[in-house]
Amino acid sequence: MAHAAEHEYTTTGLNHRKMLMWVFLGSDCLFFGSLIATYMVYRGQSLVGPYPVDIIDVPLTTISTFVLLMSSFAMVQALAATHADNRKGIVNWLLATAFLGAIFIGFQIYEFNAFKNEGLTLGGNLFGASFFTLTGFHGAHVTLGIIWLVAMAILGAKGRLGPKTALDVELVGLYWHFVDIVWIVIFTLLYLIGGFDVGPAAPPGGH
Amino acid sequence: MAHETEHTSNHPTFNQYVLIAVILFAITIVEFVLIWERAGIVGHLGASKVPLLVALSAVKFAIVIMYYMHLKFDPRFFGTVFIAGLALAFLVGIALIGLFVGFGGEPRGYAEANAVPFVHGSSEPAETKHETPVVAGPVAVTIGAVGESFTFDTGSFSANSGVNVTVTFENPSANNQHNLVIVQPGTKDAVATAGMAAGADNNWVPPDDARVIKSTALINPGGSGDVTFTAPSAGTYQFVCTFPGHNFTMFGDFIVQ
Repeated sequence: MAHAAEHEYTTTGLNHRKMLMWVFLGSDCLFFGSLIATYMVYRGQSLVGPYPVDIIDVPLTTISTFVLLMSSFAMVQALAATHADNRKGIVNWLLATAFLGAIFIGFQIYEFNAFKNEGLTLGGNLFGASFFTLTGFHGAHVTLGIIWLVAMAILGAKGRLGPKTALDVELVGLYWHFVDIVWIVIFTLLYLIGGFDVGPAAPPGGH
Repeated sequence: MAHETEHTSNHPTFNQYVLIAVILFAITIVEFVLIWERAGIVGHLGASKVPLLVALSAVKFAIVIMYYMHLKFDPRFFGTVFIAGLALAFLVGIALIGLFVGFGGEPRGYAEANAVPFVHGSSEPAETKHETPVVAGPVAVTIGAVGESFTFDTGSFSANSGVNVTVTFENPSANNQHNLVIVQPGTKDAVATAGMAAGADNNWVPPDDARVIKSTALINPGGSGDVTFTAPSAGTYQFVCTFPGHNFTMFGDFIVQ
């Protein structure tokens, strides 16, 4: 098997599985690009509140953004440990990545719940519809990534990950980093720039 | 773990990864500091900061794909495939936004003319409002609104089933129109949504809707109006202002015993 893995048949000189992942990520750009564009089109078009400035909590989300960035760092360490054939390192870094991702999801659950209590719903106004659809699908990507990472950690604990199968870890890493860069864009557009969008006649002094 | 030797020489070392993580953190902190002075101030984000924020996130984006995703070290074609998708997504986004701006006239015009402000804590019914004690015979209550806010000054009122009920609504606002609609239990938001669809011509009340028990006309600022009806069978009904957006805060309970 190891022999087969080293001399994989390819028509392009490039590994097919890795190519597949990059093609998928390229297509996923279109998925998120469309949702982001939809959000931008509907930005400032809501007729009823809550409006972004009423509920968006930028400091809180900055913290969860830090957590997601940190998870990307843990991910590259997991890949480095795989190349180094460090089984304990592989499992620990993979679980650390999944754990940080889970914290990010925890922040998102808290945020969604807080927004719901403030009256922002998927069907309540255009802001809610475009916000929840975009960040919800991102959260779904993160959740899938967590499941994948935990599955890989189990494989690692069984001793099935190492330099010969480093591509398995690299692929989950590519997916994970992609989810991270999508969040970089969402954080900038929806929180840093769009998070202060006001509705009409906001009460003086903000919230 | 820090001293592992990389088997693949073309990947960054542990220390380089740490450096990259620190750079990413630092950029995020800079972004936060850039917008933080804006927090709590009403108005739009300084437009001059938007290109800077976009540029900073683009730098983070590039660092992650070049180093964490190894595009800098991998065969170029992987990057080409990805950038092709990214570029297409970008063009689709620009085209979509362009279509709406180009064919939608003033992008914010309609919302600016028609949107209603948001009041905090709206989804929680207020506990401090006074309640009118229940009386055995016919009931006459007067309900107002609290100043310019979108709340009634009465949290609930009660009547016995079958008695005559007269509700007078006095609108103290100098700016806002309100109405008062008695609706079936738990239907205030649904009725208000239907009322929004019915439009101003119907006083924001859905016509011939079984959920609506009785409604006042749309009361202009400073005006008042009343309705008289027979209290229905026992239950906790609701009263609500169905002017678009007000229903989230402007409602109360009508308790029939």
